[in-house]
Amino acid sequence: MPRNDTLFHWLMLAPALAILGVMLYWPMLGTVIESFHDSSFIRPQPRFVGFEVYERVFGGRDFPHIVRNSVVWTVAVVLLQNLLGLLAALLLNRGLPGQGMLRAIVLLPWVLPGVVAAIVWRFMYDPQLGLINSLLLRVGVLEQTAAWLADSSTAMAAAIFAAVWKGFPFSALIYLAALQSVEREQIEAATIDGAGPVRRLVDVTLPAIRGVIVVNIVLTTILTFNYFDMIWVLTRGGPQSATHIFPTKIYEVGFGQFRFGEAATYGVVSILVLAVLVAFYLLATRSTAARRRTA
Amino acid sequence: MAENPDIRVEVTTIPYPEYQQRLLTAVQGGNAPDVATLDQIWVAAFAEANAVVDLTDLAAQAGIGRAQFFGGAWDSAVFNGRLWGIPFNVDVWQFSFYNRALFEAAGVDPASIATFGGLRAAAERLTGDGRFGVGLFAHRGEDTVVVANSFIFSNGGEVLDAEGKCALNRPPAVEAMRYLQDLARFAPAGILNASSGDMRELFLNGTLAIEFWPALEQPTLLKSNLDWDFVNGTAPEGRTPVGTFGGWNLAIFDSSPHREAAWKFVRFMVREDVNGDVVDLIPANLKAAEAFLAANRRGPERILQHLANAHPRPLSPRYLELSDLQVRLYQDIFSGADVQAAADAACRDIDRLR
Repeated sequence: MPRNDTLFHWLMLAPALAILGVMLYWPMLGTVIESFHDSSFIRPQPRFVGFEVYERVFGGRDFPHIVRNSVVWTVAVVLLQNLLGLLAALLLNRGLPGQGMLRAIVLLPWVLPGVVAAIVWRFMYDPQLGLINSLLLRVGVLEQTAAWLADSSTAMAAAIFAAVWKGFPFSALIYLAALQSVEREQIEAATIDGAGPVRRLVDVTLPAIRGVIVVNIVLTTILTFNYFDMIWVLTRGGPQSATHIFPTKIYEVGFGQFRFGEAATYGVVSILVLAVLVAFYLLATRSTAARRRTA
Repeated sequence: MAENPDIRVEVTTIPYPEYQQRLLTAVQGGNAPDVATLDQIWVAAFAEANAVVDLTDLAAQAGIGRAQFFGGAWDSAVFNGRLWGIPFNVDVWQFSFYNRALFEAAGVDPASIATFGGLRAAAERLTGDGRFGVGLFAHRGEDTVVVANSFIFSNGGEVLDAEGKCALNRPPAVEAMRYLQDLARFAPAGILNASSGDMRELFLNGTLAIEFWPALEQPTLLKSNLDWDFVNGTAPEGRTPVGTFGGWNLAIFDSSPHREAAWKFVRFMVREDVNGDVVDLIPANLKAAEAFLAANRRGPERILQHLANAHPRPLSPRYLELSDLQVRLYQDIFSGADVQAAADAACRDIDRLR
């Protein structure tokens, strides 16, 4: 590329890069700087304290819970959401009668605003008035009402279930698009060779959409790790921190108690985890692109 | 304002859940309003941050003093011996609202629930057949703290002592928390994620016999078909129940370029003939409160008595953290933890805030 062209390209990119830098990376850098300072509403002048806030956060009662909860939450939601999404996509790809209506029904949870969905689930989980207890009591699964969101042993599972319900249509949509790009000839050839539906799925369909699966898993991992509204509305991170994850803790410390330095520290740890996930995402997209080029 | 035509007042109303955040952001960004209502529990933090004006001398010069207001409300605006706000409106947690029909059916005397023993016995008798005696809640919210506080205060306990040291692990507080832990057997399941709002739903649909709310609950109950009444909190036999004060103070912001006009406005808002017309809770001005309660609330004398006897929450610039630690303690207790051990652990964390 001639030198003048390169310069021109960079010149054209400069405004976008400047906006990106100011809007995205400057606040991120600000968060990192803030994490080395002790600042709060009552002490608005930040005081440099080095790693003191990190020591406080890592040594705090909540930190191990938050790490464990974030891992459990992210892994469970991502796996279940992708599994359910894939199954829904396979179903929707079969050309069943009333497919348009079916797709609309499957997509409905995803279309609902996050807070609305969370409020609906909060009502459904209500120990006295909720639909779930009422159904389970009626069919004899429960002998007495269960407080799903108020019990440390069930609150996380209940939140995961609601999040999977809300998120699986997103995965289904992406998998459906991928399934429709699988070449029919390959499926037909496998059928002629005597492969049954499961064999066709395992040996033909899944390898053909492998790249999309990887990208989808990484993408939903990032989204789930940052998912805030479902848990906040359902439990506010409770009971007893049983459902606190990084975003809810950052919100509670930063906007509930105005301890900015500590919130920034949680934010930096969160950014580091996300950076690793983004790296996975980039590797996944690169390998998918490479496979496409060689295909 | 007809008396001050040169002063124009622009009112901004912000819902409670986002109010504090908006106000703090405005203060930090240098865009604070001239005057704002501050929740009693925020006053110390705003004072410590030098965000609000010291009103001690202005109030003294204007003849505004503690005697004109509910004592607890006035005390909630005093931090480090200086006055940082003027009490605007008040209420007290909690009144025990009861469903008269359920009490009659169970043969329980409503007056009995004013004592610890009576409330427990009543709750036990009123629980069964899908109904619950008493509505307890321990979600992450301030209503959790104020109700538990009132049981602790009524038992002679404190949250912080005079030196600011945690007193939740001392016998009166521990006894009160043990009492609440036992009372939970007669409350609907799900205490740890339940709020006063959830209990209101159950009370309104006749599932719950006793709910804990401030007097603010009365307009809702008056619109319902329930046959209800209330008693002033609960205390051990022979003691007077002590409630926890709630309410708002008017403060002038340090950045205000219109301090004189702002001070005039504050004085106007808390005046005896005005205060009752501009509040949704109960006027903080004593005389205005008497008139307001007589016109708008059932049992005005009882409410006044409970207000006069209420305690404010601890005045600490780190109150929000203290409150969070208290919620954790109450959640531990309602989860069945050993009360003394949980209180000792909470006090270790609370004392670290000093």
